[in-house]
Amino acid sequence: MHLFLEQFVNGWALGSLYALFGIGFGLVFSTLGILNAAHGTYASWAAIVGYYAVVWLNVPFPVAIAVGVLAGGVLAIVVDQIGFQPLRAKKAGLLGALITSIAFWIILDSLAGFATQQQSLAFPASTYPNRMVAVGPVMVPQMQIITILALIICAVGIYLLIQKTRIGAAMRAVGWNEVAAGLGGVNARVVILLTAFLAGATSGLAGVLGGIATSNVSFTLGEGLLLKGFAAVVVGGFDDVRGTAIAGICLGIIEVFVGQYVSTAMRDGVTYALLLLFLILRPRGLFGSTSFLRA
Amino acid sequence: MPDPAASRILLEFDDVVKSFGGVVAVDHLSAHVRQGSVHGLIGPNGAGKTTMINLITGLFHPDSGTISFDGKHLEAMAPHQIAALGISRTYQNVRLFSGMTALEQVMTGCYLQRGVSLWASFLGTGNARRQWAKTRDHAMSLLKRVGMADRADELAETLSYGEQRRVEIARALGSDPKLLLLDEPTAGMNTQEASSVGRLVHELRDSGLTILLVEHNMGLVTEFCSSCTVINFGRLLAEGDPRTCIANPQVQEAYFGRQNDAERIQALR
Amino acid sequence: MDALLDFWAAYGSTVVFAMINAFFALSTYAVLSTGVLSFTTVVFAAVGGFLAAQTVGHLQISIHLSFLLAAIGGGLAAAVVAVAFLKLDSHWMALASLALVLITRVVSLNAPILTGGVNGLVVPLRVDPIEVAILLAVVTFAFYRLHNSWYGLASRAVREDPAVASTMGIPPRRIQFVAFVISGVVGGIGGAALAFTLQFLSPETYFIGIAFTMIASAVLGGSFHWFGPVVGAFVFTALPVMMQAFVPQIEDVAKGVALLLIMIFMPRGLIDPRAVRLRRAARLRHKQERAVNA
Ligand SMILES: Nc1ncnc2c1ncn2[C@@H]1O[C@H](COP(=O)(O)OP(=O)(O)OP(=O)(O)O)[C@@H](O)[C@H]1O
Ligand SMILES: [Mg+2]
Repeated sequence: MHLFLEQFVNGWALGSLYALFGIGFGLVFSTLGILNAAHGTYASWAAIVGYYAVVWLNVPFPVAIAVGVLAGGVLAIVVDQIGFQPLRAKKAGLLGALITSIAFWIILDSLAGFATQQQSLAFPASTYPNRMVAVGPVMVPQMQIITILALIICAVGIYLLIQKTRIGAAMRAVGWNEVAAGLGGVNARVVILLTAFLAGATSGLAGVLGGIATSNVSFTLGEGLLLKGFAAVVVGGFDDVRGTAIAGICLGIIEVFVGQYVSTAMRDGVTYALLLLFLILRPRGLFGSTSFLRA
Repeated sequence: MPDPAASRILLEFDDVVKSFGGVVAVDHLSAHVRQGSVHGLIGPNGAGKTTMINLITGLFHPDSGTISFDGKHLEAMAPHQIAALGISRTYQNVRLFSGMTALEQVMTGCYLQRGVSLWASFLGTGNARRQWAKTRDHAMSLLKRVGMADRADELAETLSYGEQRRVEIARALGSDPKLLLLDEPTAGMNTQEASSVGRLVHELRDSGLTILLVEHNMGLVTEFCSSCTVINFGRLLAEGDPRTCIANPQVQEAYFGRQNDAERIQALR
Repeated sequence: MDALLDFWAAYGSTVVFAMINAFFALSTYAVLSTGVLSFTTVVFAAVGGFLAAQTVGHLQISIHLSFLLAAIGGGLAAAVVAVAFLKLDSHWMALASLALVLITRVVSLNAPILTGGVNGLVVPLRVDPIEVAILLAVVTFAFYRLHNSWYGLASRAVREDPAVASTMGIPPRRIQFVAFVISGVVGGIGGAALAFTLQFLSPETYFIGIAFTMIASAVLGGSFHWFGPVVGAFVFTALPVMMQAFVPQIEDVAKGVALLLIMIFMPRGLIDPRAVRLRRAARLRHKQERAVNA
């Protein structure tokens, strides 16, 4: 029972990372109509920037997180303005932006390789909260609690932003509306920048937290998150923050349990089998949203 | 020429409903088009005319009611099946294929009349090549018919709006339809161009085609249509002879507002 | 002659990989040219590659026969995928196809009998580059024929506006189904060519990297004409090699930058028939204006 609860929390924390990452990916996809292959590199770079902030400048942990998140957000805006904005005017659609995002993926990944000297770096243990906290009967690492809370705060915050605010309504309106996006009115411009920043920042947050938790700060960090985060997005329904969050958590828990009780070899297999099942049986995700359908 | 008013019914709407979310675009509408007629479909903006055409061509499916053409029910059919029955159309906002020449557009319209299988066409058999050349000649003759033969090799997007409309009509004729649906074919044309489209419509009718014509220009409607249907908010307002329809007070009201409103406007001047 | 041999010694493998990528790019183009963005070429390549490797290894059939089997296997896999996918909305289908790529890797990891699992699979035969070249020529010719046939006309119409195409009697889903099968056949052939060139297959062979490479090649070269993907594959494969010569160490970065610049300034790719026609029309207009003024 003890082990079960421990693994449950492990899985929840892992899944929170997937969800945190997936929310931004889904947001960009549903609002800006971009399948962003470079989304994973924001996470890698956020972790790298956070790492060097800690190692070189000795900044405290919260600042390192903030710096990483900011780096992810700014990077996303830069990528958007260089790689995607010129295509909006030319109406190159999903395809053009996909290719430029692949270009940025190649560029940022190999630059990340240089930044870490092709190694996997780890945050020194003294630079982040690394004690265990008793939560009821189980001992939980502080980082896992932080990760779980981070997802809840981000998911609720972004959900409220989209559903309850004026700018959120504008985001929903821009969703895949190339005319609106192409016109580049003040509103569309703000929506584009805000969406890109939010996506980059959440991806960055997942990157820093994941880099610390897995002791892996390198360009492979983002790629791992990309694949699992993507699964969370598909299972959850990509234009639905709630769905992505819940699906991400479930995938994390399932992954940990399969690894613990079935076999490590089957871990990814189960995730993707679930993915396939959802694709065939419930192609619109958990909450079955159809809001993006147009005649 | 048989009298269109007495000929058999080719297309029939029976109690058709179509709504989008809260908007009821077509509301329990019944109407019919007789074989060999040029039938006007008129109504103010947002009345549901384009929606009716989309329903006939299968781009939309009705919520309830039936649409029959030549005795066959259309409401559950896919657009390409409906096209194969002999219904063809143009679009209110010209929808030509980007990157294709005028001739290629019309060739594409001839898809149903290609006379060979895709496989034979891929292999390039003798018959396939003969049929291709034949279709090409036919497409050229259609372009000539709408007065665009000398622009056959030009990209559609380099043509003027009026020219694009004519290419679109030629494309619609490519499938050799029985019923042609024209959605505001003269929009954006000057009077001269518009009346040349009117003459073309008459020629087509004389060659046996039935035409459903959405048109805002009442002069053209009374001049070229033999019968008409007037709708507003998706409901039938009037049908029958174009002049009688347009004179109908309800129609006048739908188009020009309430009588006393108009009087008040008069008084204000 | 010596110069030719030197060139081959230095760049022979680049040319062979460019040809293999050309199969993949053409396979991706097959669906793109009907308006479908799908990453499934890599799945069909995996089916073709493992099928060819296994049949050659276990059944001792000839390499030519195994290419045929790879083509059939890829085509059948594509037919199944098409039935499942063509119901989906286009953006959704792009995501689903990416998911299928991930799933393919997991399957090949966990089915060692078929794929050698984590240890990979040694392929006992090697294909002659000349034969790859001949095969590519045949496939390219087939695309040329398709382009100039009723299918080509219909596929362009479906890509530009499926609703309009359907009201002209062209069934979009059926055209896209055919496109998937073509994509599967060509992808299967490419997968087999890769297997017989690498002579070693692992679950990583047919994965995301290759999936993105083939889309990038097709779009870079131009996805509006069959010649585009071929050009794109050669450029995209040669790019890192050239960059290595000019800017060693950062050749990947340079490759990404080159891809980025080409897409921003030529979003329709290097080969674009529409641009050619527009230029021709502009020239003609210019000439006429001059004639009028003179
Ligand atoms: N695809 C759609 N989704 C939502 N609403 C629609 C759609 N198509 C039409 N409508 C609505 O249905 C109503 C009828 O529109 P329709 O285009 O048929 O009018 P119309 O008579 O063709 O007008 P116009 O003269 O302006 O072309 C309008 O209120 C319109 O907003
Ligand atoms: Mg209309």
